[in-house]
Amino acid sequence: MAPRRTKSSGPVPPSRTLVIDNGAYTMKAGFSSPTASSTASVIPNCMARDREKHVYVGSQLEKCRDFGDIVFRRPVEKGYLVNWEAEKEIWDHEFFEDKAPLHCDPRETGLLLTEAPNALPQLQTNCDQIVFEEFGFASYLRCPGPMLNAYNDIQAMFKAPARDAAQSLLPAEIILLIDSGYSHTTITPLLQGRPVQSAVRRLDVGGKLLTNHLTRLLSLRQYDMRNDTYLVNEIKEACCYVSRDFKADMEATWKGPKGDRREIYETGGGIAKDYVLPDYHKRTKGEVRDHDPDVAGKLKKMQSGKGPEVAEDIVTLRNERFTVPELLFSPQDIGMRQSGIAQLVLESLSEIPFGLWPGFLANIIVVGGNANIEGFLWRLQVEIQALAPTECIVRVVRPADPIVSTWNGGAELAKEVDLLSKMSVTKQEYDEFGAGWVARKFGGDPNWKW
Amino acid sequence: MINFGVREVAISTVPVAPGWAYVPDTGSAASASQPSARKRMRTLPSASQHETTAKQDAKIMRELAALDRENHRDVSIPVPIRHRDNAGRASHGKVTPAVRKILQSQKTFANHLADYEALSAINASQPAQPNPPPPLTSGRATPTTAGPQPPVGTKRSYKKRESAATAPTPLRNVSTVGESSTPVVSKSESSHDTSMTDAPNTLLGTAVPPASHPEDNNPLLISRVPQMPSQEEIEKMLAAPALSYNEARGSLTAEDRRKPAKHFCDVCGYWGRVRCGRCGGRVCALECLALHQEECFTRYGA
Ligand SMILES: [Zn+2]
Ligand SMILES: [Zn+2]
Repeated sequence: MAPRRTKSSGPVPPSRTLVIDNGAYTMKAGFSSPTASSTASVIPNCMARDREKHVYVGSQLEKCRDFGDIVFRRPVEKGYLVNWEAEKEIWDHEFFEDKAPLHCDPRETGLLLTEAPNALPQLQTNCDQIVFEEFGFASYLRCPGPMLNAYNDIQAMFKAPARDAAQSLLPAEIILLIDSGYSHTTITPLLQGRPVQSAVRRLDVGGKLLTNHLTRLLSLRQYDMRNDTYLVNEIKEACCYVSRDFKADMEATWKGPKGDRREIYETGGGIAKDYVLPDYHKRTKGEVRDHDPDVAGKLKKMQSGKGPEVAEDIVTLRNERFTVPELLFSPQDIGMRQSGIAQLVLESLSEIPFGLWPGFLANIIVVGGNANIEGFLWRLQVEIQALAPTECIVRVVRPADPIVSTWNGGAELAKEVDLLSKMSVTKQEYDEFGAGWVARKFGGDPNWKW
Repeated sequence: MINFGVREVAISTVPVAPGWAYVPDTGSAASASQPSARKRMRTLPSASQHETTAKQDAKIMRELAALDRENHRDVSIPVPIRHRDNAGRASHGKVTPAVRKILQSQKTFANHLADYEALSAINASQPAQPNPPPPLTSGRATPTTAGPQPPVGTKRSYKKRESAATAPTPLRNVSTVGESSTPVVSKSESSHDTSMTDAPNTLLGTAVPPASHPEDNNPLLISRVPQMPSQEEIEKMLAAPALSYNEARGSLTAEDRRKPAKHFCDVCGYWGRVRCGRCGGRVCALECLALHQEECFTRYGA
């Protein structure tokens, strides 16, 4: 059933590929070709409206100076591209308009577009139709983002000798890829660059949930920040960490019984941090400081008498610093009926022949924004090691920049014109065989051989 | 109470000031919340000691829904209207009907998921329906299971092989690796809490699985070195179709379900060792209890 296209009969592949890792929070986009590799632009994948009612599209957001009360519309929901009206607006602005930062003519450009694993067929078909019928890309590959990481130099991440650049590109043999982003965290075992679909698992905890949880805690305990999630996200990125010893850190941040304020609480116990909130006039960026127990007192004095220019709004973070990212390891803490990420790694492996476990456990790679949370990798390695068979070596690493790692892998793949065109669908094929055929090709139909 | 809600406390007692309206946090859950606040005042004191689990579950659901929100308020940000002349606009030529429909759709992910589930249900009831869109009938992939295949439409039952007592260890499964692919380690919850007895599809020749031994997990007892699956077996595994969205959702493992729930102080976030007699909320000690009860009183009455 699968029409095979031989190299000689097909059209010449487009000279360059637009690689888009289309995340819910940011999209990573840029061009790749055998001769030139760009780096990824990280573009907010949203439309936003500030309190002056000014609307920003995608990269325009960098011009925003006042994030107070800002609201967002995101075309990618739960990790999946749902709203094409908004996404088209953003893509038009970034890629297709005359002054687009990454301008291209889709008719002479290939598209490599990521999707989250386990996407809904209807959304996939919508995507394929827009790509060909609206934009008219010359060729197109839609694939799960995690698998592209197999085209990065994995050996180098594990401090092994880098791969031989002279050899043609082969995907890594065996890796367990954890992608922890804005919407969720997915676990994808990859063999020879291909996902073991039956073993893919998802934890419904991502950066958005962590930010919203932090917002809730701060709003209950200190300031109402419910309309400042953009700011709370910055506080999260600046202050949150994954605890190495949750119970000990809880003790170090407790105020103590009534009338017996603990010294360690006052001084901060090495954990408490003060975050100076921006006022978007004099201060457009927040700032983290070690907790200063006198600051609260000082602040009152200043506000009552002295010049207002020294008054600062300060949020003090104590157990909020580590109870929030703890949700990645213990989602039950907020009542979710899911186990933590380490247990889900083992659940994923339980679908795989035991002989392959050592290979997966020794090659765990974490990408996505949450990989940057301090302490995350250490804790993940310790927890997986505790659950894994003792004779297995567990190694957990992250690439230098976990946010653009998927994109980098896509850019590597796009340099291999033959490989990419074998995996891709051309506009001509789409016109000839239709959307259902494309869906089958990208759906891993066993009759297809990449 | 709904999610972010300290502020919402005022609502049940103070008349809403003109020009100020509380914007509900969650669509459907919130619309029911304000009327029910009054009802709760009547009903709660009698049931104060033990808040029903249903109520607690509902509260958790509301809070989780709030944590999933994009903005605290409901907002709509329309696509900017462009100038007529289309200056600088990208032009992609004629819009096909399919594209127009997609661009106009304001369905949410939840809408699409519901559509998918409805379609899957129809599909499952008509297993002979030819040629459905790609992964609609794909269940949990069982490419390497040697035993009887679950019928289409009930594939989920495969996942229920959870018999807590006889959970096979990876090591015991080693001998049949390749034949049966599922060394169940920390097993998984499925939609129901069934502990269905495992069909003997992991065993060659015997119908009755050997009784489990507490040391089954001990790698020192391994009887043979795990064999690598053959390339053919790997190909088979890689050829399996993707799971559906719901099938890929990670479970709550049996072990985690047995663990006692952690409780945190509603006020300061420390361990919640004290329970409020009125609402069932948790606090750490007297100081936070006092703070909590002020609020609790306003919300629920004496
Ligand atoms: Zn407390
Ligand atoms: Zn109470």
